[in-house]
Amino acid sequence: MSTAKRLLIVDDDPDFVDGIRAILEGAGYAVDAAFNPRDGFDALQSRPYDLLLLDILMGRGAEGVMFARKMRKDARLREVPVLIITGLREQIAFLFPGEPLHPHLVPVDELLEKPVEPQLLLEKVAALLSASERRKAAGA
Amino acid sequence: MNGRPRILIIDDEEVVLDACTEILGDRDYVLATATDGRAGLDRLGEVRPDLVFVDLKMPGLSGFEVLEQLRTVDPSIVTVVITGYATLSSAVEAMQKGAYDFLPKPFTPDEFRVITARSLEKRRLQQEAVRLRRERDLLREQFASIVSHELKAPLSAVQQHLMLLTHELAGTLHEAQQARLERLQGRIADLLALIATWGRAISTDMEGLRASFAPVEIQAVVGKALDSVGVLAARKDITVEPSLPQALPPVAGDAGTLAEALVNLLSNAIKYSHPGSHVVLTAEAAVNRVSISVQDFGVGIPADELPLISDGLARGAPGTAGERGSGLGLALTRRIVEAHGGTLTVESAAGRGSTFTIALPARPLGPADPAGERVEEQRRVGAR
Repeated sequence: MSTAKRLLIVDDDPDFVDGIRAILEGAGYAVDAAFNPRDGFDALQSRPYDLLLLDILMGRGAEGVMFARKMRKDARLREVPVLIITGLREQIAFLFPGEPLHPHLVPVDELLEKPVEPQLLLEKVAALLSASERRKAAGA
Repeated sequence: MNGRPRILIIDDEEVVLDACTEILGDRDYVLATATDGRAGLDRLGEVRPDLVFVDLKMPGLSGFEVLEQLRTVDPSIVTVVITGYATLSSAVEAMQKGAYDFLPKPFTPDEFRVITARSLEKRRLQQEAVRLRRERDLLREQFASIVSHELKAPLSAVQQHLMLLTHELAGTLHEAQQARLERLQGRIADLLALIATWGRAISTDMEGLRASFAPVEIQAVVGKALDSVGVLAARKDITVEPSLPQALPPVAGDAGTLAEALVNLLSNAIKYSHPGSHVVLTAEAAVNRVSISVQDFGVGIPADELPLISDGLARGAPGTAGERGSGLGLALTRRIVEAHGGTLTVESAAGRGSTFTIALPARPLGPADPAGERVEEQRRVGAR
């Protein structure tokens, strides 16, 4: 790959965004951030992203859930892999590592809990990106 | 009750209605009267009474029928029946049907005032209870999100940056500095875990849980719980040995919270085990019960602390690696198990280890299951 993969973080906590942005940039990714769902959606539509890192609890409630649903309705954005990073786990249900957030709540590719181990984050991001590459190659 | 209490009196004797109106007066109360049951019920919408007096013996609609209909219209209205001596036994019957009290005729003005005051106090307490229940539910719902955003989020961000620092400084720190970072992360991880448990202990609606019970396979619950504590066990080099029979009857329950209960017991067992030792998880079926035990061979619980521990009242000692607990894990586990109609028991000997056992009622196979009925019968006889 000649150009770096471009990732978008949508999270309303700037401290958290800084923390994971540094991990990802350190690994050579190009990273943009949006601090609310509206800016995040604008960003997604303004340029192609290879992966979205999405927070669930933003603003007045679980706006991240609405965000992911809205994305899944868009033919182009549907293809973007979504990694949820949330502090929400205990509230929705007692979920276990590696399980989707909630099968009926939102279709996402992977879930990590805040705070996230840098190594684990990098592994998940790499895995989602290569799975997405393979899907594209198969579809092309 | 906003403003003056509203009282409806239904009696076919005009003289009784007049006397009652005279005794109470319209300064402190909004009074309305009706001379038969039908007319009384017709006035409900307009009067919106807090309290209704009903004569039991009236032509047309009887007092009992009025009581019935009142209950279907608004069960929170307090009702008092007015009876002659001859109908005292029916007064008792009326109370069994939900009337709050009865007033035997003839009555003195003071008797009438006292019963009115007492009934209105009942109404006030009832409304207060409804309000408090609603408030409690609301608080419970809000609590989880407040805890998450206001307490967890900043701590998570701090932890994220500590992890980042550790990641960025890898290889450049000397051992003591490395250890310091790890201790910082460890303490924050404990705090995050405490907030999570605390939030759950308060926000989990155990009564609501029961509504969503479904058949649960114990094997699946055990598998999830084992996965969940894998890292914890590996860190202390502790082997968790599951011992499960080929087949176990399903239990009626909620898989998520049952797994959580088991995770709590397993985490405790690991916490109080000596590094390098093992923890045994045994599941077995007995008559109408499924029991799951978690046994460790660690520090054990001194006899005098055992009652407090099993009531979830005490916070346990630090673990063998200095792990701290909130003391909430067991309390939450007990609540989960009890919401499932089960029991949580503990046996322990200081220095030799502890065994915590969750016993759950096995799911009845159907109404025709004779064994199930027999046990139910025994339990009820015993209860008397």
